[in-house]
Amino acid sequence: MAKLIGGLGTSHVPSIGVALDKGQDQTDYWKPLFDGYDYPKQWMKENRPDIAVVIFNDHGNAMFLDRVPTFTVGVADKYAPADEGWGPRAIPHFDGAEDFSWYFADKLVENHFDPMIAREIDVDHGLQVPMELFFGRPEDKWPVRILPIWVNTVQFPIPTPQRCWEMGQILRAAIESYPTDERIVVMGTGGLSHQLQGTRAGFLNEQADRDWLASIGNNPGKWRDLSREDFVEIFGSEGAELIMWLVMRGAMDASVNVKHTHYHLPASMTGAGCIVLENA
Amino acid sequence: MSDTGKIAQTPLFDRKANIRGYKLNKMAMALVEEHNRQAFKDNEEAYLDRFGLDAVTKAAVMSRDWHEMVRLGGNLFFILKISAIDPTPIISIGAAQAGMTPEDFIKNRLGK
Repeated sequence: MAKLIGGLGTSHVPSIGVALDKGQDQTDYWKPLFDGYDYPKQWMKENRPDIAVVIFNDHGNAMFLDRVPTFTVGVADKYAPADEGWGPRAIPHFDGAEDFSWYFADKLVENHFDPMIAREIDVDHGLQVPMELFFGRPEDKWPVRILPIWVNTVQFPIPTPQRCWEMGQILRAAIESYPTDERIVVMGTGGLSHQLQGTRAGFLNEQADRDWLASIGNNPGKWRDLSREDFVEIFGSEGAELIMWLVMRGAMDASVNVKHTHYHLPASMTGAGCIVLENA
Repeated sequence: MSDTGKIAQTPLFDRKANIRGYKLNKMAMALVEEHNRQAFKDNEEAYLDRFGLDAVTKAAVMSRDWHEMVRLGGNLFFILKISAIDPTPIISIGAAQAGMTPEDFIKNRLGK
């Protein structure tokens, strides 16, 4: 059977991708952020995943407000990087883990979980940036195939934290019943605190961000049991993206080893951080 | 949308915002295509008219009034595409909404 090798979380701030495009990752502004990703990159090299499940939200690039799926599972064999308005970025296409993706879609629906299933769709910075942070930017091919999962965090009603957790539990069961020997890593993305809209724009909450990183490993229930409005209030209107880490955390064991955390403030207008978890 | 909801100074992008800002967001979303970016640059007002924007919304876009665009139901992820054509740093967009200069915004909100 396939194996869940670990769960990682990270911010997916678009300006991180821009910094890479401009070769600014070693500047005084960006180096402290990128340094925190040396460990996860090394971890990926040593743990050699075949498939990365990436949970993220679209930011008005592949999806418009004409139809807003709460959850979307990608089943494509290939995903192009989205043109977000600045022109396409010079990064390779992503190969899809087509078979496992369809398998997961089946398992979700069998378990009374009803996503949109997408087979022709671009992926924006929400997926690109975590891939670049955790794997480095390859010349022509990413070292893993991907299963992208989109979560609506843009338009209310967004899903509850509890529902994200439940999706993670089904993901775990799907991995463990999938009849190959592939190694699968789960990446929850988004956050940490930030707010881009309204007069509270620029809101950051360093204390809550540090608390999140310190407790998502071994006390995730305190976050799972919050309301969506709590997330907005504590982490900012866009910081509520953190609910997507709960899909990753829900896929892991109750008890985990926290191998690494990193926090840097601010990356553009965002509290940026990452975590590496292994089942205990 | 209104900042006077349940969470202080924080507009939730909800049903009301979707309805109020739909045309504005649709106009901005179309800018992911190069030919629309070109049309916007060539004749902004004609481009906006294609999407049936009302006079108030059109004025907000043409004056790059970010606070007003959000008040009118614009969602930042969509209207940000305007800033890709007419380069405006995200920090200036944040500062405009907070009613601060970018310098004060960086210091007071982002702690730099």
